[in-house]
Amino acid sequence: MSIRTLRGGRTTLASLALAGALVLSACSSGGGGGDGGASGGSGSGDSGGPETVEAFTFGDAAASTGPAEAVPDAQQGGTVRVFQQTAPDHLDPAQIYVAHESNIARLIHRGLTATRQDNDGHYSVLGDLATDSGTPSDGGKTWTYTLKDDIFFNDGTPITSADVRHTFERQFAPFITQGPTYIQQWLAGTNGADYRDLLPEGPYNGDHLPDSVLETPDEKTIVFHFSEPQNDLPYALSIPGYAIVSEAGDTQEDYDHDPLTSGPYQIEEFRPGRSMTLVRNEYWKPETDPARNAYPDSFEITFGHTLEDSTSRLMADNGENQYATSFDNGLDPGNGPTVMQDPQYQDRLVDGYQTYVWALMINTDRVTDIRVRQAIAYALPLNGILNAYGGSIGGTYAGGIISPLVPGYDPDYDPFGKLAHPEGDIEKARELLEEADAVGYELNYVNHTAPEDEDASIAVENALEDAGFEVNRSEVPPETWYDTIGVVDSGYDIYRSSWGHDWPSASTVIPPQFDGRQIADGASNYSHLRDDHVDQEIDRIRQIEDPAEAAAAWTELSHYIYEEDVPFVPAFYYRQTVLHGSHIGGAVFNDDYGTIDMNRLFVIQDDAG
Amino acid sequence: MTSKDGAATGGASTDAAPADGARATEDSATGARATGAPADGAAADGAPFLSVRDLRVRFRTEDGIVKAVDGLSFDVRRGSTLGIVGESGSGKSVANQAILGLHNPAVTDISGEILLEGEDLTTAGERRMQWLRGNKVAMIFQDPLTALSPYHTVGRQIGEPFRKHRGASRREARDRAIEMLGKVGIPNPRLRVDDYPHQFSGGMRQRAMIAMALVCDPDLLIADEPTTALDVTVQAQILDLLKELQQEFGSAIIMITHDLGVVSRVSDEVLVMYAGRAVERGSVREVLSRPQHPYTWGLLSSMPRITGDVGRPLVPIAGTPPSLLNPPPGCPFAPRCAFREEVAGPESCDTDRPALPQGRGCACHLTAAQQQTLFLERVLPRLA
Amino acid sequence: MLRFLLRRSLGAVVILLVISAVTFFLFYAIPRNPALLACGKGVCTDDQLAVVEHNLGIDEPIPVQYWHYMVGIFAGRDFPAGHCPAPCLGFSFRDNRPVLDTILDRLPTTVSLTIGGALVFLVLGLGFGMLAAWRRGSLLDRVVSSASLVLSSMQIYFLGPLALAVLVYGDHQIFPQPEYVPFTEQPLDWLKGLLLPWLVLATIFTANYTRMARATLIEQLHEDHVRTARAKGMSRATVFFRYAWRGSLIPIVTIFGVDLGSLFGGAMITEFTFTLPGLGRLAVESVTQSNLPMLMGVMLFAALMIVLFNIIVDACYALIDPRVRLA
Repeated sequence: MSIRTLRGGRTTLASLALAGALVLSACSSGGGGGDGGASGGSGSGDSGGPETVEAFTFGDAAASTGPAEAVPDAQQGGTVRVFQQTAPDHLDPAQIYVAHESNIARLIHRGLTATRQDNDGHYSVLGDLATDSGTPSDGGKTWTYTLKDDIFFNDGTPITSADVRHTFERQFAPFITQGPTYIQQWLAGTNGADYRDLLPEGPYNGDHLPDSVLETPDEKTIVFHFSEPQNDLPYALSIPGYAIVSEAGDTQEDYDHDPLTSGPYQIEEFRPGRSMTLVRNEYWKPETDPARNAYPDSFEITFGHTLEDSTSRLMADNGENQYATSFDNGLDPGNGPTVMQDPQYQDRLVDGYQTYVWALMINTDRVTDIRVRQAIAYALPLNGILNAYGGSIGGTYAGGIISPLVPGYDPDYDPFGKLAHPEGDIEKARELLEEADAVGYELNYVNHTAPEDEDASIAVENALEDAGFEVNRSEVPPETWYDTIGVVDSGYDIYRSSWGHDWPSASTVIPPQFDGRQIADGASNYSHLRDDHVDQEIDRIRQIEDPAEAAAAWTELSHYIYEEDVPFVPAFYYRQTVLHGSHIGGAVFNDDYGTIDMNRLFVIQDDAG
Repeated sequence: MTSKDGAATGGASTDAAPADGARATEDSATGARATGAPADGAAADGAPFLSVRDLRVRFRTEDGIVKAVDGLSFDVRRGSTLGIVGESGSGKSVANQAILGLHNPAVTDISGEILLEGEDLTTAGERRMQWLRGNKVAMIFQDPLTALSPYHTVGRQIGEPFRKHRGASRREARDRAIEMLGKVGIPNPRLRVDDYPHQFSGGMRQRAMIAMALVCDPDLLIADEPTTALDVTVQAQILDLLKELQQEFGSAIIMITHDLGVVSRVSDEVLVMYAGRAVERGSVREVLSRPQHPYTWGLLSSMPRITGDVGRPLVPIAGTPPSLLNPPPGCPFAPRCAFREEVAGPESCDTDRPALPQGRGCACHLTAAQQQTLFLERVLPRLA
Repeated sequence: MLRFLLRRSLGAVVILLVISAVTFFLFYAIPRNPALLACGKGVCTDDQLAVVEHNLGIDEPIPVQYWHYMVGIFAGRDFPAGHCPAPCLGFSFRDNRPVLDTILDRLPTTVSLTIGGALVFLVLGLGFGMLAAWRRGSLLDRVVSSASLVLSSMQIYFLGPLALAVLVYGDHQIFPQPEYVPFTEQPLDWLKGLLLPWLVLATIFTANYTRMARATLIEQLHEDHVRTARAKGMSRATVFFRYAWRGSLIPIVTIFGVDLGSLFGGAMITEFTFTLPGLGRLAVESVTQSNLPMLMGVMLFAALMIVLFNIIVDACYALIDPRVRLA
């Protein structure tokens, strides 16, 4: 696993033995350093689980200058083949939110900022089209960005502050429905869908955001004005959904089919559902881009590959498959164990976490007795749940709600002894139920009909009944899942939620899920937790400018919520393991993307090298 | 009954003189006057045209060996008509298809001799048989609807053997087909030649079938129940047509039928078959007016007569034919025979197989005198 | 003949109308809200959701929606997200494209797969079947019959991955990697990429067609008119090919028409196994993505293919059998 050798010796690694003989290596938060000596052996080991992340740094102008740091031994040229299951439905950055679309967008679209993993495995947020990761003032309520020189769309037109303004204003247009909403809400000062009232028609009828919200004093400068401090803005700007759209080239709905691009590649041909060919964008200047190496001349992306298909091809490593990898297809459950165990695949494997955390949500409106909630926490069988998702290939047991990809993650955190007893502590649960005089407590449990969700739910149901609960389990189709559990008065007591952070900060984990002021139909506070202390802490931590300090505070708050309120029980962190062909070089896992780092890939063009 | 005296001039009849029971008895006793026996037939025009000797046809089936034809002998003279009569399954069709070699050799054993102008067809090669079929020996089948290909025009099907055997061109074959359709009485043959069989009526189809059979002027025409599928008026027309064409083409005919009426209308000689064997033979007059075998009596009783009393009850033969898988060792008709008790020592019916003598005669354990007495006293009154 | 085809075409239109109505009502009776799929929670306000519903045309009663759908097929439709020219089989809001565009984009794959596969299985299947019938009872017949029995009980979802594992991903790669390259771009790569899918698809069909051809030929050889042909002195070959074969064509054409029709509607499992971008895979993708307009379009297209091939089969009957032609 390439990432292990990259990181070895530099980061703090803690090993933790799990039931499946799986070793989870984790970096503690708060900036590098520490006892590097112990990490060497463990870091370059031959087996084990994926890596975890340290806090990001915000890059200054020097760090944000291109070209990107060279990948060792990298070669220029060649074509990388990419096997994907699902084709992107959207190419308009404003409509891009889901992983399989974002991962392609990172090659063709650029935003004001970008994240970059350096040769040592350190992550930073850099200025991408902007000269740096942003200059806050007014306690984080105002952010100023300056555009670089020599930045162009692929039609040759230079990128100006007008394009940036247009990019954010069109996010409010009615036809933009699929992308992220963070910055719109921050600009509008709201947490709901009513952000659209700020600019209901978007910029197309001559309406614009007032300078008091978004200001472009000259061709190079953009100033964001928020009513609250938004210290995560550099992160938010790095996600592909906020990549810059050309004002002159904006074709509104049609932009989704044929966008202008600002990244190193442009779309030569796209056959929806079938294939996409990316070729070089001649107007992209590597000197302006600190985040993308762009070694290959082209990417040949094909869609419709099942996990079995892509895994079989990459395992065979024959012909064209030697030049292939995938951005989103992990190992299939059938071949997965072979690939993980057979040494011949080890140096063609990158391994890490997806952003999602599987957690059982408890409706605190209905299950009001904390002892009952604690009983659920003790009874939950992590092993039964994870096995339904493919065992150690599917993920690793979770001690808390903060993912290993998010700074502030603590691998030793285990307040209910779940890591020590992944099978669940039925005895303890029963004692708590008896103490609460609630043996036979009825729980309305809803799951969806995907096979893994169903299998996991059966394991959960059995364990809860063993502990003395009465479980009424029902099922809904996957498409309606979040609509079902998103209804406040849903009538259900427990249900799964797999939340993923949008950038590596718990600010995209804790507030959306546990802010008691955001309980509404369709909102994501699925446990309906109302805790004034939590709400106050959310407001306080948001003011913290230092990422590491904020990370520690979020972690502490997450511990408080889990231990004092028990509105959820985490079960596991989703894992992602991607194979690549033997002629693919520079393959490392990127914790920010949750998959292989496509910006560092190169083609090994001759065997001699 | 049509008088067949005229047929004698064709040189086919056993005997110009009307046979009577006593005479027949004598004949069978001496064996001197066999139908088509060399002594007689050779005098007219040498060896018989077709001579079948001790023909045995066996089918190998999953249940065992079916003895469909079991030691059959008969002769056919040039230009004459032999009627072969019997119930379904008596082996009459099987025997005649064996003449043309139409059985699947993979499941069929054929022994004995089938001599066509002295050439044994049982040992002839497939190429030789293909040359003979439709050329020297032609066949007409029972159901003209299924026996004609629905996918080809009538003209093409008629002309096809002409092209093959006579080397005719497509055009010549078509002209010949039109000519033949005219001969068999199809109106507007020039227009109808390009019709498909389903555009013809039943009678017309059988006429077309006859045209097809006669297109190469064969020496022998085997007609397998040619009128069974047709209605009565058409039956008569077809039979008359066959007679007419026989005169014109000079072909010998084997008329296979279960209907003694058909036999009486066209045949010179008759062979009665039962359970794969011949049980009686003679001229048409002999067999119809003085039948000797109880089975033939049964056939007569079960047949309506145009001249008979309409009130006369038709008496079907009791019982069913024996299985050909395991035929009984004695007389195959014995289990159904109403007269077996008349035989001196009736147990011989179950143990001994009666032989059919050469020439006029029958295969029965009853003596000739008994046969005559029983027919005159017990069978004939019921036929009246 | 013309009247016959006209009559059949009218019948086909009626059948398609019924199929479309049933499919439409079934799909839209399912209680899921496509508007929510188009505009997720927290992104759209309720007012906007109503706008989205209106844009999707799902705020009207289902019969009215169906009427619009039908009109769209003949006259085209305009959606706020784009124009859908006639024949408009619906508009996919997931990727803002007329459904027909995507279907036509996927069609060449399915057509290539089907025609190539059909060619292989027709030639091999009928060839083996004839051989077995010609020499029935022989060792050859027994070998062919038992082999086809074994193969016809196989399934593509078993045979396909097996062939891939052994012939493509094995230690020695024997077949080129299955993929779809348009014939118009690289004819040779088109051939190479489809070789294995054709063979795998054809294997099971070959077995079935061998069995069917053998059985119907043997049955036809027992027909009265075939016996008549033999009695006329026709050679074995003439009897076999001019008479028996002609009669066998009817059942073979019938099955072939049905098979071809459903294959043109999408060889689902084969396309999935070999990752070929055809209509079958499109149907599956539409289901997993809850893309109702796309699914509806694909189903209707598949139904059209089946009905179309039924008409072609009927026309073939008329060519083969004068009783049908002249009735």
